[in-house]
Amino acid sequence: MGKISKPKLKSKIDFIIRVAGEGGEGVMSCGELFAKAVARTSYHVFTFITYPTEMKGGYAMTQIRIRDITIYSMGSFVDCMVVFNQEAYDKSISSLKEGGILIYDPEFTKIDESGNFVKYPIPFSQISVDTIGRALGKNVVVLGILSHIYGLAHPGLEKLINDRYGSKGKKVVEGNIKALKAGADAAKTIGVTTIMDLSKSEPANEEYMFISGNQAVALGAIAAGCRFSAGYPLTPSTSIFETLSKFLPLVGGRTIQMEDEIAAISAVIGASFGGEKVITPTSGPGLQLMAEQMSLASMLELPIVIVDVQRGGPSTGLPTKTEQGDMKFAVYGSAGESPRIILAPTGVEDTFYQTIRAFNLAEKYQMPVILLTDQSIGYRKATVKMPDFNKIFMVDQFDRKTKVKIPNAEHIDLVQRQIPTEDELKNYKRYKNTKTGISPIARPGTPGGQYLATGLEHDEYGKTNQGPENHLMMSKKRFRKLEQVSLAFERNPMETYGDPHVQIGIMGWGSTEGAIREARYLAEAAGVKVRHIHPHTISPLPEQQISKFLHRLKHLILVEENLTGQFAHFIKAKFGVKPIEVHKCEGMPFTPDEIFNAIMKVARIADEDNITNI
Amino acid sequence: MKIISQTFKTYKSAKIKPVWCPGCGDYGVLSALDKTFKTLEFKPEDIAIVSGIGCSGRFSHYFNSYSLHGTHGRALPTATGLKTVRPDLNVITIGGDGDGLSIGGGHIAHAARKNVDLTYIILDNNVYGMTKGQSSPTTPLDYKTKTAPYGVYEESLNPIAMFLAYNIGYIARTTSTDSKGMLSILTEAIQHKGFSMVYIMSPCVTYSVLPYAKLKEIVKPLPEEHDTSDKLSAFKYAYSDEHMYTGVFYKEEKTSLDERLKEVFNIAKISKTTSEIMAEFK
Ligand SMILES: Cc1ncc(C[n+]2csc(CCOP(=O)(O)OP(=O)(O)O)c2C)c(N)n1
Ligand code: SF4
Ligand SMILES: [Mg+2]
Repeated sequence: MGKISKPKLKSKIDFIIRVAGEGGEGVMSCGELFAKAVARTSYHVFTFITYPTEMKGGYAMTQIRIRDITIYSMGSFVDCMVVFNQEAYDKSISSLKEGGILIYDPEFTKIDESGNFVKYPIPFSQISVDTIGRALGKNVVVLGILSHIYGLAHPGLEKLINDRYGSKGKKVVEGNIKALKAGADAAKTIGVTTIMDLSKSEPANEEYMFISGNQAVALGAIAAGCRFSAGYPLTPSTSIFETLSKFLPLVGGRTIQMEDEIAAISAVIGASFGGEKVITPTSGPGLQLMAEQMSLASMLELPIVIVDVQRGGPSTGLPTKTEQGDMKFAVYGSAGESPRIILAPTGVEDTFYQTIRAFNLAEKYQMPVILLTDQSIGYRKATVKMPDFNKIFMVDQFDRKTKVKIPNAEHIDLVQRQIPTEDELKNYKRYKNTKTGISPIARPGTPGGQYLATGLEHDEYGKTNQGPENHLMMSKKRFRKLEQVSLAFERNPMETYGDPHVQIGIMGWGSTEGAIREARYLAEAAGVKVRHIHPHTISPLPEQQISKFLHRLKHLILVEENLTGQFAHFIKAKFGVKPIEVHKCEGMPFTPDEIFNAIMKVARIADEDNITNI
Repeated sequence: MKIISQTFKTYKSAKIKPVWCPGCGDYGVLSALDKTFKTLEFKPEDIAIVSGIGCSGRFSHYFNSYSLHGTHGRALPTATGLKTVRPDLNVITIGGDGDGLSIGGGHIAHAARKNVDLTYIILDNNVYGMTKGQSSPTTPLDYKTKTAPYGVYEESLNPIAMFLAYNIGYIARTTSTDSKGMLSILTEAIQHKGFSMVYIMSPCVTYSVLPYAKLKEIVKPLPEEHDTSDKLSAFKYAYSDEHMYTGVFYKEEKTSLDERLKEVFNIAKISKTTSEIMAEFK
């Protein structure tokens, strides 16, 4: 193997901008406005934000990546960085590329002059004061500077400013537009170089949405036919419930805010009993409160979808940061054995389709489905192709045969809950011990369908029965559904990428997919080939597929964002492998570069192995 | 008022029979509720009963209705979700003093605030019956229970005063021995628009904290002159040390959750397609 170098990615346009400052300084709105403006062009946009839990103060940043092809991660190093203050500079500067652009306000930031950057000291705070009488507009001054560097046309930006600040009155909008112009003028006067002209780029030729992962959950739920949500605010999941609260009534649905997460999951169980498709969004602390009711839903065999937008833990932990710390709890957190399905989306667009899939699985197999996303997906915004609404297919309520496809932009099946036939209603057994374990659910109001759904062990009719044979039979019935799920998952296409014959494999789950993918491209360009597996279905796992992947593999790298390696425990126990574990427990997502370095390290070990083998 | 429905002889389940101790107050409540359904001529398939855990929590088993027997203390939020999506159903929620006032006590205030249109029946036997005789929130001070062998060291709750403070729109108390009183109150409560609370003293004969004889002694119907729209008067009778007053304490018509959510739909001018919603994110 030759010398390890860091090659460029193949796309022509690929750059990253970071705006860093203090919470409450408008860092987020500056980044968001810029990203939104770019999202109207044919370029792909991907944003990542991190901010402190407190309302004001503390380090906050928004990072925007712009590329001419699909973006998988927030990237590693920044091309253009704007820092609002000293702390932002100190915390961010190591992420700036050599030769990158550094924009700072000399009044608030002392920089190390020796750094190899293009430095633009611009007093944006003073410019704001001079223009609108207050320093508050400095974020829009910065937006003006960025518009000059990247050639973003002002009419578009002005419209976005109007959309954003319109509700605060005409004066605010006018002030912001002045600040925007002042920023662009200052950049021009000082002689800041314009490095590209985004205004000349083609407008997007396909229909795109620019949405966050959390919005993708809400929209996915609506598309899946969900018409009820009960929730309780919990960062970083709250915007899912907010989005649902805004839009569900428009499609005839209802949302109610409950007094706590126990009440929220109880309400969705009640609504599911009533026949609706339901969802409750939360984060780790809320998931813990929901535990008893998750088992109840398993026992009553009622479809419910729970979303856990993981934050840093344990306890209140790091509310606005990311971690993959809830996997074990999601999979195993149950007193007694209660079947459930765990899905882990990998990015914003995927979250949209996995949410639809979660509803399909819940409705078909009548059990809780937990969608495990995390803060890095939930708060990330990306351009997502508008799904084609002519490609939605309803699965009939009496259809017990159709193999439901994994939803994607080309084809979306929508599962309707199975209901009993007239014949079945003559002697209705709600919990009929069928071959698949699935037994049709009568909707309240249906004559002859009355039944008892009890959390006590029960017989096929629903009547309590604590007998030994009955408990065994009904436990098996409930788990037979999970076996069906498992079989269905095995039949799906393998979720593997890269050369299937090489000896180094890398495995991850959830939001690390993009960073691993880009790391693999980097490694390939450096002459190291790896194969990558990234199951979306954490439980049940497609075990045969994974075994196949592990076969003849010499080195398995297992990547996850936590301290103890929860997924690794799972994989080691199931497959008896000894992976090289790469963990990150800092509240921040992996960058491709970090994973690339891990791959290269393993490649060196593999090389030495080969030498000793000779 | 018709007492016997033309259509249905009984709403009780043919398959599942009660397993309460002989003499348990809950039997009386069961037949009163059955009679109420007959009086109201409900269709069995339009009744949904959601109950908690406890002896009283078994109510959902004994009717030929759509029934949900969930977890301890969560009947009320479960029923709230059900009624929110299915305003067409007649939703009844039932549980004990432990289920409703201890583990699930936090939920009542919020069901009251929502004014969700359902009837919540609490069966108070002043004890944890099902788990065999521990103190409940309404066991009297100093009374000896299995978990307070030297006497209960907490003051007991005054539930009626609490419901009044929560602004519940229909509040009544009765006893499991008063079939007429139960029938008239349950019928009225179920027909009441919004959240209604029916509090029934239903003695446990096995852990007899409040024996029938004692109950008879302390119970007294609310005086005729009590005005059910006068909350201060209702408070006065709720706080009485001398008697345990029964009857309707308070009644007020208020906008129900269903009506409020329908208003929301009007504000939002209801109809949008999924694709129209997504277009807002372009
Ligand atoms: C989470 C949980 N904690 C405790 C219990 C045990 N438990 C079952 S019933 C009950 C008390 C029931 O008392 P009450 O609600 O007054 O009903 P009663 O039996 O007196 O009618 C308790 C503590 C439980 N089932 N679940
Ligand atoms: S223990 Fe008490 S409350 Fe329970 S069934 Fe027996 S008498 Fe009724
Ligand atoms: Mg009790």
